[in-house]
Amino acid sequence: MSDPYKELFGLDLPPERLQEVLAAYGDILAEIRKLRSLDLTDVHPAVVFEPTAPYRKAP
Amino acid sequence: MSSELWKKSLAELAPAIRSGKVSPVALTEACLGRIEEVDERLDSFIHVSKHALDNACAAEREIKAGKYRGPLHGIPVGIKDNYVTSDMPTTVGSTAPGLKYPMRDAAAVARLRAAGAVPIGKTRTHEFAWGNVTPPVCNPWDLSRVPSGSSGGSGAAVAAGLCVAALGSDTGGSIRMPAAACGTVGLKATFGRVSRDGVVPHSWSLDHAGPLTRTVADTALMMQVLAGYDAADPACQAQPVPDYTKALTKPVKGLRIGVCRNHFFESLQEDVERAVEQSIADLAAAGATIVELKIPLLEYGLGAIFAIELSSSTAYHDASLLAGRVPDFQPDVRTLVEIGRLVTGPDYLKAEQYRSALMEEYRKVFEHVDVVVGPTTPITAWKRGEWTVQVAGKPESVLAASWRFTYPYNLTGLPAISIPCGFDHDGLPIGLQIAGRPFDETTVLSVAHAYERGHDWKNRWPKL
Repeated sequence: MSDPYKELFGLDLPPERLQEVLAAYGDILAEIRKLRSLDLTDVHPAVVFEPTAPYRKAP
Repeated sequence: MSSELWKKSLAELAPAIRSGKVSPVALTEACLGRIEEVDERLDSFIHVSKHALDNACAAEREIKAGKYRGPLHGIPVGIKDNYVTSDMPTTVGSTAPGLKYPMRDAAAVARLRAAGAVPIGKTRTHEFAWGNVTPPVCNPWDLSRVPSGSSGGSGAAVAAGLCVAALGSDTGGSIRMPAAACGTVGLKATFGRVSRDGVVPHSWSLDHAGPLTRTVADTALMMQVLAGYDAADPACQAQPVPDYTKALTKPVKGLRIGVCRNHFFESLQEDVERAVEQSIADLAAAGATIVELKIPLLEYGLGAIFAIELSSSTAYHDASLLAGRVPDFQPDVRTLVEIGRLVTGPDYLKAEQYRSALMEEYRKVFEHVDVVVGPTTPITAWKRGEWTVQVAGKPESVLAASWRFTYPYNLTGLPAISIPCGFDHDGLPIGLQIAGRPFDETTVLSVAHAYERGHDWKNRWPKL
């Protein structure tokens, strides 16, 4: 892969700009890593698919 | 009643307008005059409506003809610039080329118009509501400081008397943070309580619409108009709308007030801590029972809200990324939109799992308490251009510090209000946050009103 950030993440940036973005992501990634450490195997995400959504109208 | 009309609250103005003692035209002229007088320094409005006086005249004619619509009739309100409007341009705080927004009224704006309110202009937002600084708006209490954000224009405008009330939006604290920093009331109601139709999306499952006002009673009056079902917002719920003003009389005596000692009290400025502790003591003295509690899961919240907000915002701006427009965004927003591409699908869904777990923790907490109170923000308004602040003796980025106490209620969707609870040693406002059960805005408002009644913070004005 010539540019994994472009091919894997769709992030098409010049090398200098990419380094700035990665540096800014550092602190945020540390927080996301903490989240990854939680075992939430049995918890349903707060996302509910609602196939009736297109039929909603005012009561 | 005619002198300094712009200083009057909505609850004071409404009966005066109804009885003919105050003219909506005179009131609108007073607010427009105030904008002319001070907004060159504040920069809180990006657009002042050329239709405001005509709309005020129409309101006055209707009222004189006996067609009074209710407490908002003839009241000048500011509209955050991320709500689309039929008679004013929308920019969402961006000067990037190639972006256009429809000329129609967002649902909340339509409700305000139907209630007879007079949209007086569009208040500035941090670009795409993705930040807490809202440049170039200044804080009315100290022009060298930020009003916070992203509804910083609304916070500054309401605090300085440029409009009686304003609309804001709140994805991680964007109504409550500027309310705290500018010394106003700001309510983020339950997710699904107020329609977001026509509010330019930032993060679909975190965005909330709501009011900023000068008093709790004014927030109740605004909510009476804003709350209600709207099929156009997929998250909106068909829950009954209570009488919010009537709820204000509910006594605080006998209520159980939770104080979450971890997370919300771990790192904050001394003056903020002192003011909030005093507020809790005041509520106890008023007859409430204070219940100390902990929610250890809050430790993982920052990663969760970042994962959801970054990936959602980037998904919304994907067309701009593909079109090469993002380099024209402001540097901080550009970085956040580009970072969003790095958040993975599993990280996003893990964050949504975390939300479910946190919601369950709060459900258990609300078996034992009626509301949870604490500071709205750990810091007061910081200097413009400053990106790091001292919190409890340590340097911390404003991006991390400012929303630490507000975002848990975006993750959980619970109603939360910020009300003024004092000033720091620099004369800057401090916010007290009160959160409640889903769709129990009435208890939140009643506690807020009980606290507000016992203090005179709302009667203090910034010297401009």
